[in-house]
Amino acid sequence: MKIKIKSWTGVATWRWIANDDNCGICRMPFENCCSDCKLPGDDCPLVWGQCSHCFHIHCIMKWLQSQQLQQQCPMCRQEWKFKE
Amino acid sequence: MMSLKPRAVAFDEKWEKIEETVTLVLTLGAIKQKYWNERFSDIYALCVAHPDPLADKLYLETKSLLENHVRDLCVKVSAQQDENLLSEYYKHWLKYSTGAKNLNCLYSYLNNQYVQKTKMTEADIMYGGTHSHDSGDRNVRNCHETTGELGLDIWQRELIIPLQNRLAALLLACIKQDRCNQNTDSPTTTIRGVIFSFIDVNMFKNKSSLELFENVFEKALILETGEFYSSEASAILQECDVSQYMEKVINRLSEEKLRATKFLPPSSHTSVEKEVQTKMIADHLATLHAEAPAMVAQENTRDLGNMYKLLKTVHGGVSVMVKQLQEHIKQKGLQATNNLKGDNVPAQFVESLLKVHQKYMDMIKNLFSNDQQFVGALDKAFESVINHRVTSRNICKSPELLAKYCDSLLKKSTKGLNESEVDDKLAQSITIFKYIDDKDVFQKFYSRHLAKRLIQQQSHSMDSEEAMINKLKQACGYEYTSKLHRMFTDMNISAGHNQKFQEYTSQQKIELGINFSINVLQAGAWPLGQSTLTPFSVPHELEKSVQAFEAFYHKNFSGRKLTWLHHLCQGELKVGFTKRTYLITMSSFQMAMLLVFEKTDSLTCAELQQHTTLNDEQFYKFLQSLIDCKILTASEEVLEKTTVLKLNFDYTNKRTKFKITVASPKETQQEVEHTHTSVDEDRKLYLQAAIVRIMKARKVLQHSLLIQEVISQSRVRFIPQIPMIKKCIEVLIDKQYLERSSSSSDQYSYVA
Repeated sequence: MKIKIKSWTGVATWRWIANDDNCGICRMPFENCCSDCKLPGDDCPLVWGQCSHCFHIHCIMKWLQSQQLQQQCPMCRQEWKFKE
Repeated sequence: MMSLKPRAVAFDEKWEKIEETVTLVLTLGAIKQKYWNERFSDIYALCVAHPDPLADKLYLETKSLLENHVRDLCVKVSAQQDENLLSEYYKHWLKYSTGAKNLNCLYSYLNNQYVQKTKMTEADIMYGGTHSHDSGDRNVRNCHETTGELGLDIWQRELIIPLQNRLAALLLACIKQDRCNQNTDSPTTTIRGVIFSFIDVNMFKNKSSLELFENVFEKALILETGEFYSSEASAILQECDVSQYMEKVINRLSEEKLRATKFLPPSSHTSVEKEVQTKMIADHLATLHAEAPAMVAQENTRDLGNMYKLLKTVHGGVSVMVKQLQEHIKQKGLQATNNLKGDNVPAQFVESLLKVHQKYMDMIKNLFSNDQQFVGALDKAFESVINHRVTSRNICKSPELLAKYCDSLLKKSTKGLNESEVDDKLAQSITIFKYIDDKDVFQKFYSRHLAKRLIQQQSHSMDSEEAMINKLKQACGYEYTSKLHRMFTDMNISAGHNQKFQEYTSQQKIELGINFSINVLQAGAWPLGQSTLTPFSVPHELEKSVQAFEAFYHKNFSGRKLTWLHHLCQGELKVGFTKRTYLITMSSFQMAMLLVFEKTDSLTCAELQQHTTLNDEQFYKFLQSLIDCKILTASEEVLEKTTVLKLNFDYTNKRTKFKITVASPKETQQEVEHTHTSVDEDRKLYLQAAIVRIMKARKVLQHSLLIQEVISQSRVRFIPQIPMIKKCIEVLIDKQYLERSSSSSDQYSYVA
């Protein structure tokens, strides 16, 4: 064997797979965290609803808590259900 | 024991005895205790005499006795020639003032019972109270003062006032003699004693006890001082240069300080000093200021120190020096950073600036006792040196140079410096950092360097890295370093991924065939340009690892997309085709090229490129690096599609473990330009955010006020150009965040 790989260090970036650039609730880019957080990333994750809309988890939780009767997606007014 | 009961008393009989004793008291003659006690009782008896108390009469008699005594003394003293007048006065004053105090004791009963009652209290005077607490004592309405007080008052009226001009003239003459370093006509104690007698004569009074002293002596003294020193100043200036003049003035001032403590009460120390300062410094300000530029230019420490000592006493006096020094430091700073050449420009730049900074900090500390005005001048000078641009179109290089300097300190390659030395140098570089206007440019460069160090594991020490970021955070706040912190966090998270991935592969019984690790970075936080993206087919030796990790990652984190940055990946190859075995670290692209030669010994460029699918630019760049380090040989100097590439079986290298780098100056130049354009983009966003924030709070704001507010908010990061702010306002109007007010043309209002 002339050439053998001993070790390899890969470098990769990750980003959210979202259908929009900005969170529909706080208007902050998904690249950044919601307006209540300071650091983006694992502490301020995104969640998707079954209607395929996505938000910062902090934003949608705040929204859902403020809704008294029905839990609706703020974008399409369908009933909000977390996508599994 | 005599009775204390009031009874009839014959005044003249008693007074005769009292008069005798009082005269003895005033001349400090010997009085037997018995007689003292008798007189004490006599005075009591007179004060309580029946049917009418005789206190009033006693008081008046005593008063005229004292007056006669002092008048006699006055005749004696004024008969003296000038040379003896002061000593004679002082002799009698010492005697009389002690006598008056003693007399006050002898007359205690009168003083306590009659005088104190009639005296108005402070509160009565202040609030207009009446002095009728003691309605029963009609007889003592003349007793306004205690006997001691009365005695001293008489001294003032009957002796000081008639003699005041002669006394003052003689005292001034003595002080002038002392100033001219001649022997004074009278001894120091006498001069001081006479001067203090003008104050002590009022010792029983609380208020305005200095008034007599000020009128009789101090006013004349100040006048005389002014005349003396203004002629002294012109005399010195006639024969000396300014540097000698300053020394002499300093001597004069310190002498005068000593003289003041020798002769004068504390109340006049400052007024005399002020007068000397006025005549010798303030009146010659122009002469002193004229010398300042030369002294600053020569950095003549002694003269500068002296000049500071003198000028700081005059309001606004040092401002000329401050201005000169600021300009001087600026010139020195520009000289130190001008025409830097050689490999190590960043280090030269930072270290020579620090040297200049330290030098003038020391100067300000030693010569100007850290005067804030001078510290301010140093700061201003450094601000203009560090943010200097040759022309307004040039980019200021300082942020870039400083960032490179930090990089060179934090990189593993730093030779001969231990960790604490590195930390010291980093701490010093914060000094320079604070002066930088374009802190955002520094941040961009710094984060690029940091990204490289972290990904390529080049950091000297993680502790130093973190310490430096904390220093930047201290200087600029949390937001400024949040991305840098994020990068650190990503490294830690990646270490966790690697561990979990290993467990995952052993659980799933996946054999990768290589030692695999990975850094998973959050796209937004890392300054990793997309400019070098190129198609690339991963060598099949690595494919398994890539697929396994992607599967692992998606299983753990849903909703995330991974993008491989192959130009940043690197691996270690064991090269066995040569005589010795080498371990070579290289990038994925270079690995992929070499791995193709596993099956063949020679290939054309076109064939190799087909295997790797790299674009032309990247392919030739990385291929060239392999040829440059002689692992591959090419049939032609200039690489063409048909050029034949071969493995170099004769390859030798002293080191068996090394790294192939790709560094072309052209690329770094591009990177610099790219950094500057991305800074501009960030600035626009930052300004827009600031404008929206401000307008959201203010609702309606004038154009000029808005601009001001924006500048003050962004100052911590950079100094925004006004055209850029204007452009951002335009953009926001287009985006309908703002609108121009209908009422006024230079007003904006916020659109909710």
